[in-house]
Amino acid sequence: MGIQVQFRKEAAELLSSGAVKLVIGYGEGSTPERRRPVFVRTPAETERLVLDGACVANLSTYLISEGLLSDGKNVAVFLKPDGIRSINILAAEAQLNPEQVVIFGFDIENGEARPLAGRKASDFTQVVEAAKAAGLSPELQKEAERLDHISAAERFEYWKEQFSKCIKCYACRQVCPMCYCRRCIVDVNQPQWINTSSHTLGNFEWNIVRAFHLAGRCVACGGCDRSCPVNIPLRLINHRMAKEVLDAFDYYAGESTDQKPVLATFRQDDPETFIL
Amino acid sequence: MTRILLKNKLDECIAAWRSAGFSVLAPVKRNDLSRFEEVERSADMALDLQITERTIKDHFFPQTEPLLRYTIKKHDLDSQEMLPPDIRRVFFGVRPCDASGLAIDDPLFGWDYKDQYWFKRRDNAVIVTIACTTSDDFCMCTSVKLAPDSTKGSDVMLRPLQNGTGWQVEALSDRGTALLDSVSSILQESSETPAPPASVPVKFDVDKAMEWLADPANFESHFWKEISLRCIGCGSCTFLCPTCHCFDIQDEGDTYTGIRRKNWDSCSFTMFTMHTSGHNPRNTQSTRWRQRIMHKFNYYRGKFGVNSCSGCGRCTRQCPVDMGITETLQAISNLQG
Repeated sequence: MGIQVQFRKEAAELLSSGAVKLVIGYGEGSTPERRRPVFVRTPAETERLVLDGACVANLSTYLISEGLLSDGKNVAVFLKPDGIRSINILAAEAQLNPEQVVIFGFDIENGEARPLAGRKASDFTQVVEAAKAAGLSPELQKEAERLDHISAAERFEYWKEQFSKCIKCYACRQVCPMCYCRRCIVDVNQPQWINTSSHTLGNFEWNIVRAFHLAGRCVACGGCDRSCPVNIPLRLINHRMAKEVLDAFDYYAGESTDQKPVLATFRQDDPETFIL
Repeated sequence: MTRILLKNKLDECIAAWRSAGFSVLAPVKRNDLSRFEEVERSADMALDLQITERTIKDHFFPQTEPLLRYTIKKHDLDSQEMLPPDIRRVFFGVRPCDASGLAIDDPLFGWDYKDQYWFKRRDNAVIVTIACTTSDDFCMCTSVKLAPDSTKGSDVMLRPLQNGTGWQVEALSDRGTALLDSVSSILQESSETPAPPASVPVKFDVDKAMEWLADPANFESHFWKEISLRCIGCGSCTFLCPTCHCFDIQDEGDTYTGIRRKNWDSCSFTMFTMHTSGHNPRNTQSTRWRQRIMHKFNYYRGKFGVNSCSGCGRCTRQCPVDMGITETLQAISNLQG
């Protein structure tokens, strides 16, 4: 049985037994290459679910929709390993109860989706460990190293050019499962702490604030990068922060539901090189 | 016999316009983004693009724009207006949908208060449009009763010649006539025929959709919740739209001196309608998406007699979750049966 047929069948069973109230998966998009998030509430509707190599979006972001899980009922969601790591982080940061999240785990290999065994976030420990062992993306590493090896002035110019494209649509924030603040710092307007203007300074403020907030939390799902309508290579910023956290604290985000958030905790042997 | 501009004469044209004091802007692909930028030669232009990712609206209604500089003194206040500079600009290679977008927004920026920032730039601009001979999956100009060769909002229309060597030229306004007269020695008489415009399929029945939208019974329809479930509430559709025009006014500075700016704002944002009291009349994404559609296909027409959509398709083309006007209006026109 193909993965799509298998997942449809299991989703229909979960819905008809009342084990979940909703299944969040992928469906056909507006072109043959596109997939879009779909929300399925009845067994009959599971026919809309599609699963193949084009299903790349991290759907965990919908779980933090206000009120979705507050009735205590379960929701099923299609997730790749990056999305499973997002669930671990959201649970560790007390944003959701992982027991309410039923996972249809899958991974994409050679352009095809294949199932991962398990249903709860804690069932996927080995998958996450394997992802950690595989290391940060080698392609990203190559791009990031090029930036590491130019001068600080050149690097500043590079990002100035890139950020000059930003229109502050906040697609990067809205698509990100880690951006769950009900009121983002840039929306706090009494007083307006951060300029809303998307001039050079305002764009730097926004993109750097977001990068800092994602350090040790980003799972490199690439959602922000794909969503950016003006093609800012946000993956490079997040990759650099992830590498920093890995090197300094041997910390890989989203390993388990009880992993302590790296920048909200401390260890006796943490490096203190910045303290004179 | 009609007048044509040959591609190999384009550099002479650009040089002539530049020496006459015009800035020439054209589609450019730079830093992994396509948009209109100033060019000095035809080699810098990306005229083969179906459509730029960003619209020419950016050059008339920028994402952030200083309005005035102020200083608060002990008993009074000093302020100086910061109007845009007097630069005459030629926009070369505009798509008909983007040119139409400017014409759609003109009444909005002039209906009660004449927005000097918009009109100063509009009055100094000559829009040279190239008719589309190709389209992509997201183009929908014909669905909103425009066309791949609409002349709306354009001063000059260029129709690509069948043989690919240049364009048939036609002046559509006094400004367009003057611009072409300034390069009359570069243009040629020719009997070459223009290529047929792109055939863009009609994707929805806009009249049916408008009828449904105008019925107050549908305002609270469950449809709005279903269609917008996956909307993440970003502003990319509004900011990439050639007609969306909402803005916010912000003062930036310290206690005594600063700059008042006009910044893009979006009806997709939660904060857009947040009252000081904390009450938010559009407190769910479905009410915000409904507003966007209603504004474009119901309210705007009621006020200005035209829909606020030129069918460029960017809202779907660049949506992170594959939503957009096409899907919504298709669904609405299907509801109408």
